[in-house]
Amino acid sequence: MVSKADWEIAPIHIDPDTTEKLFFTDHEWDTIEAAAARIMPTDHDPGAREARVIVFIDRYLSGIDYLYAAADGSGFLQLADKDAHAARARNANMQRLYREGILELDTKARELRAPSFKEASDQIQDEVLEQISGAPKPVPVSLTSREVYYSRLQGNTDEGKSFFDTLCLHVRQGFYGDPVYGGNKDQMGWKTVGFVGPKSLKDTMDGTYSTAEFFIQEYDWEDLVPGFKHSQDPTSNQQQNGQ
Amino acid sequence: MKRKMDPVDVVIVGLGAGGGPAAKVLSEAGYKVVGFDKGPWLRPEEHYSGDELKFQNRSYLWPDVNLMPRTVRSDDKSEARIFNFSPVPSNVGGGTSHMAGWMPRPRVSDFIFHSLHGELEGASLADWPYRYEHLEPYLTKVEWSYGISGLAGADKGEGFRSKAYPSAPLPPTSFGKKFYEGSNKLGINSFPLPMSHLTEGNALGRPAVNRTSFWNQYGDPTQTRSSVATTYIPEALATGNFEVRADSFVREVKVGKDGKATGVIYIDPSGLEIEQDARVVILALGAIESARLMLLSSSNKFPDGLANDSGLVGKNATFHEYIFAVGLFDRDMEDPLHGWTGNYQSGGSTHFYETDESRGHIGGGIIATTQIGQAINAIMPGRPTWGQAMKDADRDYFDYSMKIGFILQDMPQETNRVDLDPTVKDAWGMPVARITNKPHANDIAMSKWQIDKNQEILQAAGAKKTIPVYLGDEFTGNACHQQGTVRMGTDPAKSVLNEWGQTHSVENLFVLDGAGFPTALGVNPTLTIMAHSWRCADYIANIYMKGRSERLNLSPIKKS
Repeated sequence: MVSKADWEIAPIHIDPDTTEKLFFTDHEWDTIEAAAARIMPTDHDPGAREARVIVFIDRYLSGIDYLYAAADGSGFLQLADKDAHAARARNANMQRLYREGILELDTKARELRAPSFKEASDQIQDEVLEQISGAPKPVPVSLTSREVYYSRLQGNTDEGKSFFDTLCLHVRQGFYGDPVYGGNKDQMGWKTVGFVGPKSLKDTMDGTYSTAEFFIQEYDWEDLVPGFKHSQDPTSNQQQNGQ
Repeated sequence: MKRKMDPVDVVIVGLGAGGGPAAKVLSEAGYKVVGFDKGPWLRPEEHYSGDELKFQNRSYLWPDVNLMPRTVRSDDKSEARIFNFSPVPSNVGGGTSHMAGWMPRPRVSDFIFHSLHGELEGASLADWPYRYEHLEPYLTKVEWSYGISGLAGADKGEGFRSKAYPSAPLPPTSFGKKFYEGSNKLGINSFPLPMSHLTEGNALGRPAVNRTSFWNQYGDPTQTRSSVATTYIPEALATGNFEVRADSFVREVKVGKDGKATGVIYIDPSGLEIEQDARVVILALGAIESARLMLLSSSNKFPDGLANDSGLVGKNATFHEYIFAVGLFDRDMEDPLHGWTGNYQSGGSTHFYETDESRGHIGGGIIATTQIGQAINAIMPGRPTWGQAMKDADRDYFDYSMKIGFILQDMPQETNRVDLDPTVKDAWGMPVARITNKPHANDIAMSKWQIDKNQEILQAAGAKKTIPVYLGDEFTGNACHQQGTVRMGTDPAKSVLNEWGQTHSVENLFVLDGAGFPTALGVNPTLTIMAHSWRCADYIANIYMKGRSERLNLSPIKKS
């Protein structure tokens, strides 16, 4: 077997502006792009359309070549053996989920007298999304309402989700993921919310990317931790360091 | 046909927090040691980076749930479902390669939980077979070799410490400063929690930690996070006595006619089945997989699983659910909190650690303010999932929210356990671990009380809205902490291991991870696992291996 430590790197790069389709048909591409634009809309900041979320999703669905970027962004890891088999099986399920989901989007749109989902008005598209989500369109966060939640697993995989939940998650991933995967063009997503991310993945590998400037620069532990005194502690760090 | 490798002194299965210190101590003592890990041996400088999608959503480090599944159910009557319960990276380094790295010490009270509280109905409280004082020298050894930053003396309830930390903590982040402000308003003793990294000018002379955003659940490409893959494993290799066999799945511990372990059988990377004999076998796969391997290793002598004559292997599992409260701040009134800054946590407290029965529960745990994460998975329970409301929520609160988390100390219960799933098999064809778990009423009460307290701290810090995340009906294993499945004790009828992690019934079989912990502690277990492993490995190297004759080697009485 080829160990995960020795997976080859295929030197492939994704052009965010590409219109070349690796998985979707023309119609499917337009449909998902339209739905993504309702999920992450465009306003005074860019939305899914400008950030090229559609390219991100198309590459992900095309197979397993775009599953993991190489650490430095120089290409994509080529999975081998057991890992590749498991990933291919998941990918096949995901492709089916999308193909069926797109048919459903069109069917629901036609029930609302639109020729297709992609040609429907924003309002009808939202209505279709409401229907397949099974819940009303989300309303703005309220600072006065009170909700209670329960714990869940860290990490957020796309396994076992419905088409609608999968699509919403993939739109977030395409909008906020590292641009190496084809979405978040020019870091539009990060800029929209104020995340100061790295210029490139490579910058995260050697310490070039740092958040040091966002730490508090002027502080004194004796103020932050009342009752704590450096000088009174016979084994304080500073004494140890000074030895 | 099985191949056989030349025998060695010690085999260690699992090269994470439990196996790492043992590998170092035993190979430095001159014993020939082979360490196995079923995962790969990744090279941090080549394989790790700040890629949120890869590490958080596509689980590059966690085991593929389709290849190494676990199943979970809430009681004997429910059907178990496949779920990535308590996932830890399956690679050389184990959990120390992805963990945020909280490294607080346990407290004196943790070791005498039963003596302090007596019987708790529905729980199986127990004392540890040793005390804090016995572990203290090893806690210090780990802090000073692995590399921990902290502020000695700032935790007012800490037990005796023989030495300060080798490194000062990182400065507070913006959200850390808010946490101190909120705590101080309420008179809560808070302080920079010890972390598994070093800062500038540390006493060990190692590089200061890289202050990236991509920390919890990411591998660290700069290797400035203290991990066993970058400290103890290389130190063990440097002795020339240690060999790592990665991508090698140990499927059975063999037992000889005399009832002693003779070694292990493993599947090598090419799929060959190979035997490795050894004088001592150490299991350190994490509490779930150590118990599983013991149950898989049944034999004529041990039909119910290796060293399982008490019937307790797998039982009394504890998992430390991670729960939290989130506060949303008003961006018109506050400076940004930059909840993605730095190395996950910034400021914590053990103020509510010790039992106060007026709260309606016994025990307690550690709290800390932590990153809300990067943009894809930023934590905001109840965030709208699509449309303008989602975009507005992201834009308004990504930089204006913070989280105070809690490591819930769950009570041991015999019914919370690990056994072998009767139907689901892993990629090697072996039955997987099935986890049965249901929170104790004390766990639920502790969850509610502490998360409500965390909301109070957030409000004192200025949050306009707080959102609680309590413990649910089952543990999800989201803390990735595993304890208790092979508990230590003095009575062989009520425990599997003695105070050296040695099984009562197979004298050369040791379990040196969190599996031995009779109670869960109120702190993250990694420091304690490492110190415990070191202490037991010291015993193996200096007493057990040398045998009785050398232990009783008295100097002859001189005649005048």
